[in-house]
Amino acid sequence: MAVTTATLGASPRARRPALLAFRTAVLRKPGRVVGLAIIVLFALMAVAGPWLYGRLEIDPDAVYAPPSAKHWLGTDFAGSDVLQEIIVGARYVLGTAALAALITAVLGTGIGLVAGYRRGFTDSVLMRITDFILTIPAFPLLIVLSTVWDFSSPWLMGLVLGGTGWGGMARAVRSQALSLRERGFLEAARGLGLSTRHIIVKELLPNIAPYVAMHLLLSTIAFVTAEVGLFFLGVVPFSTTNWGVMLNQAVFSGGALESPDALFYLLAPLSCIVLLTLGIVLFLDAVDELFNPRLRERA
Amino acid sequence: MTGFGRRLAGKLAMGLVMVWAVATFTFFLVRALPGNPGDVQYENYILMGMSPGQAQARVNAVYGFTSHEPLPRQYGGYLWQLAQGNLGQSTSYSGVPVAHIIGSALPWTVIPVLSGLIVSFLIGVAAGVVAAVKRSSRWGGLLSLSGSVVAGVPTFVVALLLLLVFHTEWHLLPFGGTSDYEAGWNAPYVGSVIEHAVLPVCTYALLSYGGWLLAMKSSVISVLGDDFILAAELRGITPVTRARYIGRNAILPLFTVLALSFGLMFGGSIFIENTFDYPGLGSLLLKAIGTRDYTLMSGAFLLITVAVIAANILADLCYTLIDPRVRR
Repeated sequence: MAVTTATLGASPRARRPALLAFRTAVLRKPGRVVGLAIIVLFALMAVAGPWLYGRLEIDPDAVYAPPSAKHWLGTDFAGSDVLQEIIVGARYVLGTAALAALITAVLGTGIGLVAGYRRGFTDSVLMRITDFILTIPAFPLLIVLSTVWDFSSPWLMGLVLGGTGWGGMARAVRSQALSLRERGFLEAARGLGLSTRHIIVKELLPNIAPYVAMHLLLSTIAFVTAEVGLFFLGVVPFSTTNWGVMLNQAVFSGGALESPDALFYLLAPLSCIVLLTLGIVLFLDAVDELFNPRLRERA
Repeated sequence: MTGFGRRLAGKLAMGLVMVWAVATFTFFLVRALPGNPGDVQYENYILMGMSPGQAQARVNAVYGFTSHEPLPRQYGGYLWQLAQGNLGQSTSYSGVPVAHIIGSALPWTVIPVLSGLIVSFLIGVAAGVVAAVKRSSRWGGLLSLSGSVVAGVPTFVVALLLLLVFHTEWHLLPFGGTSDYEAGWNAPYVGSVIEHAVLPVCTYALLSYGGWLLAMKSSVISVLGDDFILAAELRGITPVTRARYIGRNAILPLFTVLALSFGLMFGGSIFIENTFDYPGLGSLLLKAIGTRDYTLMSGAFLLITVAVIAANILADLCYTLIDPRVRR
């Protein structure tokens, strides 16, 4: 019996090996390859960065030095290499965003699926909570919380970002679940008397995965923005090297807006954020096609 | 219209519950802060030579509650003061009511946010229609990409780049404050206010432009495929009527984007006002945290939340007025 529902509810992945389909989708447009390459590059930086340059070298003879063969992106106010700081700082920024994305995925998908499939009272209670989370201005809340909590640990920061950021995902997943529950394969599964848990985990979840993946990538951008912004504003004590701290130092102590000396110190973290955003946006295109059969056939 | 009234009442009740939840949160947050600011202030007043009774009365005036009373009474007193519009007194402005400080900062946030919203709505929706109609051409693709990238670039990056280009490099626009002249209804003052507002408003506009474009694009594409458009085309309607049909139906889902943009923009106001040194609610919140002025901090946070909630209710009402199906 389970075989019947599996074929009815099978996602396209079942027919083609997932990795192969992924490779075809990515290779179809050069933009997607570039996007994937950017994401992989930043992920490598986050993993290996602090091992490569555990302690930043300080060169007191070269303060705000322009880019050279020795310092590719110049140096900062203390004579540290800007490129090294960028690489070391990637771990905090991306690690926090990854943790927040994980929490968003679990909470948003779980709440959205249950609300959309159960409907009725459960749905309205869960959606009131979701509306509440969506309405509370998350960034001001983050700033207010920074007075009580120490955000220098990526765990706590990720927890708060994820805990306030799952509302959009829950809404998107719920609306998908609402439309999917009327489809034939789900009606068949219900008719077979399968448990709600089986239906939600084995039938609904695989079909909603593409939306989760897309929302996850988009919310990662928002998380990176929020945490870097918090450090940029200088409301959190600087105890780690990360892009936000660099931005803050460049603008408020380095005078990057008045003098061209610190310009590279300002532009390096700025362009990293823009580059990461561009990478994710370009790569999203491939994810979209991978999970959306209509787009695949047209291309 | 009874359905409309019931909807409005429901929304208002929901809004009130949210405001209460946020007020409760800030109350317990201020109490949970390291070294309970109420106690610290009380000790300070005692050191300044006040009697315990006087000191308690002063702390009560500043925070709306006294930290020596039992918790439920403190909480009740705080909510009672709040219901009367009393947000307590600022500690960094020594005794000025928080409501006054926030009241003078409020217009410098609300007016730029609204102007930015209108500008981005007009440009974003127009661009979204073009991106939808020309979606298979190179220009349509580029337009959509511009929307995705602009929507993803952080607020402070946009603000810093605009400041760098238009103030530091080209010396076109001023920076800092709301104007260079004394307040008054004269041409130099008004001109200067507008000049100072250009960069913040542009940043607000860029902040939500991408969202409008992408939402309008997908909305127009889905309406284009609808049967009623095909039927109308077969009846031989004029292109103008066809555009009106599409526009009216495609613009409806954008009201959900509107609700989301308010939160985004009030959150963004912290960066924008900080970068351009603009004295609105966002920079007030930052300043309050910098000087550990907790009454001002909770007041500013509460007001930002109230503004977002009010804007959401307004957006929902507009939606009800425009879409006859919801009005039933």
